[in-house]
Amino acid sequence: MKALFLTALSTAVLFVSSQAISAEKSAREIVEQAELNAYYSGDDGRSAARMIITDNQGRQQMRQFTILRKDQQDGGVQDMMIFFSRPADVRDTVFRVVKQVNDDDDRWLYLPDLDLVKRISAGDKRTSFVGSHFFYEDVSGRNTELDSYELISENEDSYVLKGTAKEPGNVEFSYYEVVIDKEHMLPIESTFYNDSGEAYRKMEVLKVETVQGYPTVTHSRMSDLTNGGQTEMQFRFMKYNIGLPDSIFSERSLRNPPAEWLQLRD
Amino acid sequence: MIYRAFSLFTVLFTLAQAASAQDSWGDEQWDSDWGTEQDQSINVYGFVEAAIGGRFESSPYHKRLSIAEPRLQLGFDERWQDITWTAKADGWYDGFDETWHGQIRELNAQFTVFDNTDIKVGRQVLTWGTGDYLFLNDLFPKDWQSFFVGRDQEYLKAPSDALRITSYFDWFNIDFVWSPEFDHDNYIRGERLSYFNPLTGQLTGDDPSIQFIEPTRDEYAVRLFRNYDGVEYAVYGYDGFTKSPEAVTENFQPTFGRLTVVGASVRMTFGPGLVNTEVANYNRHNAADHWRALVGYEQELWTRFTGGFQAYIEKGDTQTRTVLTTRLTWRDERDDLNLSLFAFVSPNQNDGYLRPTFDYRIDDNWSFSGGFNLFFRETPNTFFGQFTENNNAYLRMRYAF
Repeated sequence: MKALFLTALSTAVLFVSSQAISAEKSAREIVEQAELNAYYSGDDGRSAARMIITDNQGRQQMRQFTILRKDQQDGGVQDMMIFFSRPADVRDTVFRVVKQVNDDDDRWLYLPDLDLVKRISAGDKRTSFVGSHFFYEDVSGRNTELDSYELISENEDSYVLKGTAKEPGNVEFSYYEVVIDKEHMLPIESTFYNDSGEAYRKMEVLKVETVQGYPTVTHSRMSDLTNGGQTEMQFRFMKYNIGLPDSIFSERSLRNPPAEWLQLRD
Repeated sequence: MIYRAFSLFTVLFTLAQAASAQDSWGDEQWDSDWGTEQDQSINVYGFVEAAIGGRFESSPYHKRLSIAEPRLQLGFDERWQDITWTAKADGWYDGFDETWHGQIRELNAQFTVFDNTDIKVGRQVLTWGTGDYLFLNDLFPKDWQSFFVGRDQEYLKAPSDALRITSYFDWFNIDFVWSPEFDHDNYIRGERLSYFNPLTGQLTGDDPSIQFIEPTRDEYAVRLFRNYDGVEYAVYGYDGFTKSPEAVTENFQPTFGRLTVVGASVRMTFGPGLVNTEVANYNRHNAADHWRALVGYEQELWTRFTGGFQAYIEKGDTQTRTVLTTRLTWRDERDDLNLSLFAFVSPNQNDGYLRPTFDYRIDDNWSFSGGFNLFFRETPNTFFGQFTENNNAYLRMRYAF
């Protein structure tokens, strides 16, 4: 029903004005290309990740985990598993996600101390991912269909786009500006603005490496511009197209993590 | 005695900090210790914890103190020869009974055979089923004493010495667990928490004259399960004994009656939330059979505030018990403070149990938790009502490494 409503809405938008359509279309093409590069490189992938979370008083925490990912379809459904190794209180905890496009994600959490496979109900995706300044949605990717885009400037190296939520009641931002670098077609900076037009949250890419031909963000930072504090995230040991079987993404891997796919080597 | 317990905590904590000194992370250590093949070493992990708690009112059966313990947990796991070896043990000084205790929580080997079968053998913690603090088809041992005095949720599950074989097929998966020796729950039997003894018809504290007769047979549990398109189906079976003494011997000693359980569950997304339903038939051989059924629903009500609701019934020919539960959970923006209220209410027994808790994560090592265990009743012979004399509050401080 909800999907039907959205279809009707997008059809209505198409009739607004031809000029608006062509501008939106090219902005959308840029965003969709950037989404594919940022979240769908290769058919599958493995990566180790580390976050350093610094609060506004300079106190630091760390998270370390390994991600396995497999795309069912580029830009579409994606299977993901996150195996936590640090800190001590989340050691051996495993998070499993089936990322859906027009529906809520399926999510499970395995708590090893209790041998419990806990299914998690759909939640607001714009809340902290494991206590960091990154949101759940920053890690899994925000569905580009949820926002409308306009190209606000362009130079030799990059595009600057403005994103506005189609349903503003569902998000905390008024709008955001994203800089997409032309060389890699990757978002390298996003700044979020509140209703009074102040920037309060900013993501910056600090390093891009090309892995097996895929440009890959290997170091980024999310800053809280209002209260201070930031999280830096680094990726290491990235590998694409490793041939992950579908069977890896199951309850089995929660209880018995697939060691052969989790061995970290370059 | 409390002083002694906490000076011990200081010693344990100092040891733990020394053990984890090399584990501090700074910016310069971005590149170190990713746990690669080269830098894998045997890692010991664990925590040191101090817990303190007391009853609200003096109980005629016990002292005010309900928990006072410094505890050390050490664990390690290692993959060697394609086998994952896990060991985890606790040692603590119990200020309630004034003695030292040790428990091996895990000591097992896990490996894969024929590609599709995982085997885990040894001491392990086992859980399945869909209920939230309500167990229909999960007949693995539980430690209700720990749960009711405010130990960490981890201790609700007691370990089993078992062989677990899980095979994965295209159409379904099968889990088989064999415990060579029956493991009963750590049920309430008076020495720490008072209960209603139906044989004498009164509330009872520690009474060494009551001998609980334990069976010496093995027990089996089996689960067939499948996740089809996000819907989780499972069918369960169990053959063993009731997990707490519900029968009496010819000499009127409490004992564990034979029990066979067959059940099923479904869990799936439903609208904006999750729905689960589970049923089980309890065949008690020498006593009346009964059914158990559960329906649950959980949803994020507001950002970071989740509500869960369950309706549960136990129905036999002569007795019925209904229970409604709610779990309300709120976490703060940084995900370091978690407030939760779990409430059990039985409309037909007019009793209940409230569990408000908080967990505060100070940093990657330190955490602070506390809560209440509050029972209420109309008459002392009901399921939750019998524990009202044990109402207590507790605090725990933990250093994890």
